Amino acid sequence: MFRHDTPAEAEFRNEVRTWLEANLPAALRGRTTRPPPVELMPWYRALSRKGWIAPHWPAQYGGMGATLNEQIIMTEELARIRAPQLPGQGLNHIGPLLMEFGTAAQKAQHLPPILAGGVIWAQGYSEPGAGSDLASLATRATLQDDSFVVRGHKIWTTWAHYSDWMYALVRTDPRAEPRQAGISFLLIDLHSPGIRVRPIRTIAGDEEFSEVFLDDVRVPAENLVGRVNDGWRIANALLGHERLATSNPQFALTALEQIKTMARATGVIADPAFQDRLAAVTIDVTALAALFNHAVELTNHERSLGPESSVIKIFASELLQKLNGLLLEAAGPHALTQSPVATDFGTVDVAGSYLQSRRVTIYGGSSEIQRNILARRVLNLPA
Amino acid sequence: MDLNLTPEQTLLRESAARFAAAAGAKMARGFRAQDASFSPARLRQAGELGWLAMLVPTSVNGLGLGLTELALVLEQAGRGLVCEPIALAAVSAAALAQGHAAHPIMERVMAGAALVVPALQESANGDDPVAPRTRAAGKGAAMRVSGRKMFVCADGAEGFLVSANGSDGPALCYVARDASGIAVSAMPTVEGRRLATLDLADAQADLIPARQSSRNAVDALHSLALIALSAELLGVMEKAHEITLDYLRIRQQFGKPIGSFQALAHQAADMHIRLAVTRSLLFQVAANNDVYRIDPVMAVALKAKASEDAMHVTQGCIQLHGAIGFTDEHDIGLYLKRAMLLSSLLGNAAAQRRRYAAIAGLTA
Repeated sequence: MFRHDTPAEAEFRNEVRTWLEANLPAALRGRTTRPPPVELMPWYRALSRKGWIAPHWPAQYGGMGATLNEQIIMTEELARIRAPQLPGQGLNHIGPLLMEFGTAAQKAQHLPPILAGGVIWAQGYSEPGAGSDLASLATRATLQDDSFVVRGHKIWTTWAHYSDWMYALVRTDPRAEPRQAGISFLLIDLHSPGIRVRPIRTIAGDEEFSEVFLDDVRVPAENLVGRVNDGWRIANALLGHERLATSNPQFALTALEQIKTMARATGVIADPAFQDRLAAVTIDVTALAALFNHAVELTNHERSLGPESSVIKIFASELLQKLNGLLLEAAGPHALTQSPVATDFGTVDVAGSYLQSRRVTIYGGSSEIQRNILARRVLNLPA
Repeated sequence: MDLNLTPEQTLLRESAARFAAAAGAKMARGFRAQDASFSPARLRQAGELGWLAMLVPTSVNGLGLGLTELALVLEQAGRGLVCEPIALAAVSAAALAQGHAAHPIMERVMAGAALVVPALQESANGDDPVAPRTRAAGKGAAMRVSGRKMFVCADGAEGFLVSANGSDGPALCYVARDASGIAVSAMPTVEGRRLATLDLADAQADLIPARQSSRNAVDALHSLALIALSAELLGVMEKAHEITLDYLRIRQQFGKPIGSFQALAHQAADMHIRLAVTRSLLFQVAANNDVYRIDPVMAVALKAKASEDAMHVTQGCIQLHGAIGFTDEHDIGLYLKRAMLLSSLLGNAAAQRRRYAAIAGLTA
């Protein structure tokens, strides 16, 4: 809408689109829930063989070393063909973190299998008693000889039941003030003795996340990333970039198409009251595209978004929920159907899409936490 | 988020900020009690600074700048509650300049010596701007227009740019205020500026031809005016928000600054989000459209968003001030009233959404 490909970018987009059309299995397109690894990882490895699994990784680590615009094109083309969401904890989180903070040995051990799709990573941050107040986390790691002994309980751990490794925030100093100063960053082999993983069913009916119990798990000391008690800084180092990627307006544009399909099928598109709401969300999608493009322009000029990235996170996630609310309204009782609804205008997964959308304002820092960040760090309101 | 501006654009913004700072709430309050709703001397000053010639092509002695520059200046005008109708004069100058030869009054409009304002609206309910009910007959400089235009900022205007339905579709006509067959009746508004109804009965008019690149002159001026009003709305809500943030930091209740309470802090954060979104939308629309070739779908989306957000923010600012915000004595109410004026001109948020649904293909 606001961003225009250069001739070279247009060529790249065309190459990506053609390849995706030819290579993404039909069964993997348009899935509302993430397919299990047995279905999904062959696709991951196909992208890997093509050299496209890590557009944002520098070439020295086996990535594409793509420009920000090329990364955006990739995201948009994957969203356009409605490709399934890949496990991103390795590619988007621990991979880039290790590049910045990891030892040579850690990089050599962990980066190649992430690229190849040989391992799946999970993120062990939240705990039953540490959600929005993450710094209160209590999973304890005590150094004994050449190992950390880890004892505690992690939860909302995406795909932990399928994962081989978990990067985790653990408490190494229970008396530290502030509490953030007593947290370290560990790489934990989920096949170690003392680990038990229990999947958790979500309201969308899938088992997207789990809880992880750690009962005196021995983690070699060389699996510490950075220095002891410096884990909080490391965990927060890459947040802004991630928020930009997940706020690509292509996801909202896709949702808009689903609404129109459903509204035509049920006939509600002719209702002026519905048209008004459809116009409002369509205008908001245009606004998101503007916001996103503005952020991309600044990033391309090496200007950090800082806490302003909370604006994009809130606006994009709340808009996606608004869109799904309107989808529900357009569908009427069709919204209750468990399988996708087939209509003369196309097939739409109403309930699945709506239920999935409930999580976007919770993960990655809830909308309320984001508003606290804006109030304190952007608007300088007193604590 | 900051804008990525050239050094020239930054200078332009600073100069506009100085002009706006010299206006402010006190000056806006002063005009409420008078018949004149702005200072003709300050309008000439805006002309000397080049702001009314900004969009006019260099071939007719304008500055030939773009929509980004327009938005930068008008955002500041909004912040300063500037009463001089810079937005209306600048877009009218651009419209008067678009033919093979500029209209004779254009030079004076560009200099701020004469004011011409658009007269496009015909009802309170959101018209189709390219299907006016006002009729035009005749050709060139011997046109006659008949009909009624409403909600025109006619104070101090020497002439109007009237949209009418001619033999070849929508036509833009210049009608002088002292032309035969024109009656102007102004009504006061809560904002202070008066809005007029123009009754045109075979009024003498000059046809303003469309620039080659634009679809038609009426649509071009309408879209341009939507962007200009949106830029001013952005400035109004920005300044109201800043005033309110100051108050949240200073005002103490329950032994603490009230900005420390989450219920209030989150409202302030919501306003910030609305500001940031409207700002990005304004400057992306400005960067992606030419003065004489604006995608009406984008212009309408922007005016819808800016109108809705400016009302939401400025009325929220009253609430966050509490009782003092409800007094006439406090300036925060002036921003709400300015937002009421600008958001309603050429159609409020709901009217823009209706048009958006129609032109963006959302009705079938």
